[in-house]
Amino acid sequence: MRGLFLSVLALAGGASAASAQSMRPFSTYRQWHGETSTSARLEFAAGALRLAAGRPAELYRMDVLYDADRYQPLSDFDAARGDVTLGLRTTGNGGLRVVSKGQLRQTASVTFSPRSDLALDVALGAVDGDLELGGLRLTSLELEAGASRATVRFSQPNAARCRDAVLSSGAAELTVLGLGNSRCDRIAFEGGVGRVTLDFGGAWTSSSRVSVKMALGAVALRLPRQVGVRLTLDKFLATFDPQGLVRRGNAYLSPGYDHAARHLDIDITTAVGGVTIDWLK
Amino acid sequence: MRALSRRVALLALAALVVPSLAFAAPRLHPTGAVELVHGFWSLVSDVAGPTTHTQSPHPAPQAIPQASAGQAPVPLDDLSKPTAIEAQLRSALRPHDGAMRVTVPNGSARLGDFSIGSNESLSGHLLVVQGTADIYGKLLGNLVTVEGDVVLHPGGVVSGDILTLGGEVRDEGGEIGGEVRTFRSASVLATPVETRPAPPSAIETVFRRLAGAVGVFLTLGALGFGLVMFGRPNLEVVSDTVSHSFGRAFATGLLGQLLLVPTFGMMVVGLILSVVGIVLLPFAVVVYALLVIVAAVGGYLAVAHAMGETYTRRRLALGVMIGSPNSYRYLVVGLGALAALWMAWAVFGWVPVAGDLIRGAAILVTWLLGTTGFGAALLSRAGIRENFAGHLIPPEALTDEYLWATPQFGVTAAKRPGSRTPTRGL
Repeated sequence: MRGLFLSVLALAGGASAASAQSMRPFSTYRQWHGETSTSARLEFAAGALRLAAGRPAELYRMDVLYDADRYQPLSDFDAARGDVTLGLRTTGNGGLRVVSKGQLRQTASVTFSPRSDLALDVALGAVDGDLELGGLRLTSLELEAGASRATVRFSQPNAARCRDAVLSSGAAELTVLGLGNSRCDRIAFEGGVGRVTLDFGGAWTSSSRVSVKMALGAVALRLPRQVGVRLTLDKFLATFDPQGLVRRGNAYLSPGYDHAARHLDIDITTAVGGVTIDWLK
Repeated sequence: MRALSRRVALLALAALVVPSLAFAAPRLHPTGAVELVHGFWSLVSDVAGPTTHTQSPHPAPQAIPQASAGQAPVPLDDLSKPTAIEAQLRSALRPHDGAMRVTVPNGSARLGDFSIGSNESLSGHLLVVQGTADIYGKLLGNLVTVEGDVVLHPGGVVSGDILTLGGEVRDEGGEIGGEVRTFRSASVLATPVETRPAPPSAIETVFRRLAGAVGVFLTLGALGFGLVMFGRPNLEVVSDTVSHSFGRAFATGLLGQLLLVPTFGMMVVGLILSVVGIVLLPFAVVVYALLVIVAAVGGYLAVAHAMGETYTRRRLALGVMIGSPNSYRYLVVGLGALAALWMAWAVFGWVPVAGDLIRGAAILVTWLLGTTGFGAALLSRAGIRENFAGHLIPPEALTDEYLWATPQFGVTAAKRPGSRTPTRGL
């Protein structure tokens, strides 16, 4: 009996050691040498990702803990073009392993310099993501959420003018907070299945156009009262409650839209699901 | 047990007494107390100090000679794929003839600590193995360290990239032209012994296969007993369909196997096109998979039941006394017969050629009977329809007198009043 107990203990210890062995830390960074703009591509297949503004003296930094049996780190800077590719890419190896989810949890922390203009392209697989884009100088954003649960936040106003933010998701739960701080002229979201929450709070300094296409799922809009909102809706089997928007023609307008200094024009196309509106205080 | 507890008690006593003796031994005068505090503090520092990664003592600084012509060089021009560089270095740094040799094109390799002075400039890539690279001056190239740190002192310059494999980069105010990549743990110098597990012996193989076969058939037996307990009528109908319409059941099973994937595809497309059905898609996929599994396993068990029933009835016809000829017995007998093939493979599978033949036969027979069972389950709609089960006479008429006196086939049977004409069709 004691032998059996010891064997089980040894097996458990061996298994945990084996799994711990495959998790490997990797760090990469580049000093800031006066670059005015950077184009960053971030690929992250699985795990937990945190992205934020970093130290001014570093153009970018990535610290990851990754499963070395299945993934390899990406870190490649093209000095001529100012492009950097970061993240984790699958190697196609690994097979089936029976371990607890927590043992092979990959984590990544990525930061970019607040001094340099940033065109950010993020591709996520199955990721629990927290992207704090406030404080960066974001000139464009492209985010493919895949099958992730991601929160994109603009807690501070974007230090640069953003041309467009294109967000897409397969079967994901995506929350974007503080879009008013994003300073993006055009915001587009395209989703398959899931739930998207678009919070337009923040300091609005210009007007913006927003396009939302959702096949199957819920679209939740949080709208600011200080901006004139115009919403057009193309729906098939979706519910919609205007919540104070007034219908004019084929559009829904917020009171005082015509006299508002800044406008938020939203086009929504959805097949099945619902569109809900909350007003921010 | 008593001896064990006595030993444990003694150990506990010793654990309590020995430390107190150790602490009680020195007389505490002022300097002794200070030493004690210092000793304690150094112990705490050693345990909880920041120097978590420990490196082996560095060897004496020296140049690593170039490798022989047959050994591949390690180019350090591009460090963007650090795991590839690591793999190359692992191969290159393996000692040859007791010495480490490596060729770095456009660069040099050093063993042990290495530094570039503040008024020095080194052109070319630099590989430092088992040593700290202290950069006070300029390195015009890439820098790679294996089991060693990089310390970039104020004014120090590395024009290219830095890669540390089993170390870290301490930037104390220097300038790095390229990227810094750090693996704090690396196994470049570890010489992994290829522990390829020894092939199991024939006896081990036999026992392993026997255990596998017994496990599978015990599981099937448990499932079968559950089926008999909770769904005997359906099992018997499927079993009778196997017995009475073997060929038809096999053909149906074959066709069913061929149509499994197209049917699944049509179901998915249909649900997607119906838009509303998209919500049901995940459930439909799961239900479809479950139905297929139930039909296949249930059909296989029904085949075992049919085999057992046929065998038992033949034994009874020969006058053998059998205790309780019921569905449980049929199932056990049938599964035993089916298991016999796999047992034969488990025992003789290690024999060259013959083992493969036995395994092929076992696979073929299992597939054949599985297909027949699957087809019988489809034909009988999981035991609901009796059209192919040979149940031509109403069950209430199946008394011993009726069976003895009434012919069941031929002209006389057809003219019997109240007889049911079977409908042979789907």
